[in-house]
Amino acid sequence: MTTETIEAPARPERPQRAYAALFRSPSGAVGLVIVAVLVVCAILAPYIAPHDPLVMAAGPRLEPPSLAHWMGTDQFGRDVLSRIIYGSRLTLMIGTIAVGISLSAGLLLGLVAGYASGWTERVLMRIVDVLFSFTEIVIALACIAILGVGLVNAMIAIGIASIPFYARVTHSIVLVEKNKPYFESAVAAGASHARLIFLHLLPNVIPTLIVIGTLGVSTAVLAAAGLSFLGLGAQPPQPEWGFMLSSSRDLISRAPWMMIFPGLAIAITVLGFNLLGDGVREVLDPRQRAR
Amino acid sequence: MLRFIAQRLVAALITIWVATIAVTLLIHLVPGDPVRIMYSGFQTTPEQIEEIRTRLGLDQPVWRQYLMYMGRVLQGDLGHSIVGDQPVLTTLLQRFPATLLLTIASLFIAVVVGGSLGFFAAYRRGTVWDFGAMTLAIVGVSMPHFWLGLILLFIFSLSLGWLPVGGSGFMNLILPAMTLGLANAAILARLTRSAMIDIFDQDFVRTAQAKGLPQTLVLYRHALRSGLVPIVAMLGLQFAYLMGGAIVVENVFAWNGVGRLAIQAVFARDYPLIQGFILFFATVVALASVIIDVTYALLDPRIRYGK
Repeated sequence: MTTETIEAPARPERPQRAYAALFRSPSGAVGLVIVAVLVVCAILAPYIAPHDPLVMAAGPRLEPPSLAHWMGTDQFGRDVLSRIIYGSRLTLMIGTIAVGISLSAGLLLGLVAGYASGWTERVLMRIVDVLFSFTEIVIALACIAILGVGLVNAMIAIGIASIPFYARVTHSIVLVEKNKPYFESAVAAGASHARLIFLHLLPNVIPTLIVIGTLGVSTAVLAAAGLSFLGLGAQPPQPEWGFMLSSSRDLISRAPWMMIFPGLAIAITVLGFNLLGDGVREVLDPRQRAR
Repeated sequence: MLRFIAQRLVAALITIWVATIAVTLLIHLVPGDPVRIMYSGFQTTPEQIEEIRTRLGLDQPVWRQYLMYMGRVLQGDLGHSIVGDQPVLTTLLQRFPATLLLTIASLFIAVVVGGSLGFFAAYRRGTVWDFGAMTLAIVGVSMPHFWLGLILLFIFSLSLGWLPVGGSGFMNLILPAMTLGLANAAILARLTRSAMIDIFDQDFVRTAQAKGLPQTLVLYRHALRSGLVPIVAMLGLQFAYLMGGAIVVENVFAWNGVGRLAIQAVFARDYPLIQGFILFFATVVALASVIIDVTYALLDPRIRYGK
């Protein structure tokens, strides 16, 4: 009898444990729920949106929130709620594509710099540092000046603008991994460069980068909304949240709902990814949990 | 200390130098003919286009263009804008005081609000106060500042009528500075909290408490003073963020700074002005970070005496 109580239950697999822990951390759970709702909205948009987001005069113009139009209508009579639901598709697309660009390029740069060491490392990281100090918005503006205005260009611009950040992070992880016994013994065993980089360094860099990428989605969403707000990103009639906010500017006193709901949508989405990122970090770094 | 300042200055110069290269390359990365794109809004003949190309030096090899550009930059000449044909440097310098004023006012708000929130949360760590302060901070981090700007505009200008909608006086500064400052206060609150928690855990604070010093003395003389060091270290990056954020906020409130100018330039595809803006921005941020790093070194004896 006693042995049974003392015996520890079989430990579940690692990923499952991590998910369970994510749900136990309040911020992680809230973040996960928000992001899940967003994903569901994006996938089911045609089924849950009450109106077509682009059809003008779905109702009277500038109608305040009512039972027929929960978030009111805009100056063209389009249903704000439907536009926000469809906007979640654009937002998720922007977030993933922009982070995809910066993550892959930053990963490559950081890996090469960290692995190569010596002059290659110094020159590459110096360039990365300089680009980093330009700040993301200025790099993004430069990219848009080159590529021209538009949502796709804005996504590319934001992706490029964050490369220095991911390169820095990857570089610092590589420096730590390079000093670990497993790597040193692989070098001593005469492993090739490709083997060392792709089989030894890469698998150890990727988990941390995934966490940082989750947090990065929030930054990318915020930046894209900002560019669209300035008129440099999404163009009419795209139901992009930042662009919706900017078209509400001249109507704030007449139709405040046009300003409130898109902004709320951006804020909640960004909050969701921030909380999720915080939650994942807590799970991976128990030292943070004690704080 | 002198060596430290020299090192920081050299790093800043390298940043500015890389910016000159980036700015020269920028125009060559434009798909299509940059001259045609720049003048697409004007009536031009093919001869005029070629003449402009020669005048801008775009018919020369890239390396020669770079040397020509550097030669002009060193003489303080950043070229002429396409729209309005104004000297770029003069235009930027005319607009810069407004941006600097906005940035400094926001930095002040960010430090006061964010710093005290973070300090308070760290001091009351683990309590409802801490949780409340940090919830406020994460909501603040997630809030787009252009939205915050519109909300403040709606409440204080349009509904209450307390503050003007746009313009360039002191009353007009309040809303943009609050918008930019509060958005960054949230980031600073989180950073300050973790910096202060590290300090509260250190032996010298515990010793000060153990020897029976009054709590306020422990807090302000011992903890806060060393807490300032990592906070000042973050200000360099904060300043760059605020300058970047000013670009958006200036456009919300029609505040006539360089950020508003930059967006107009991107729309008009005014490349000389865009190039000038990027170089100018990089220079200002680089020099500001030198000043902040030196202040940091003055506060932290470990750096002052070369570790």
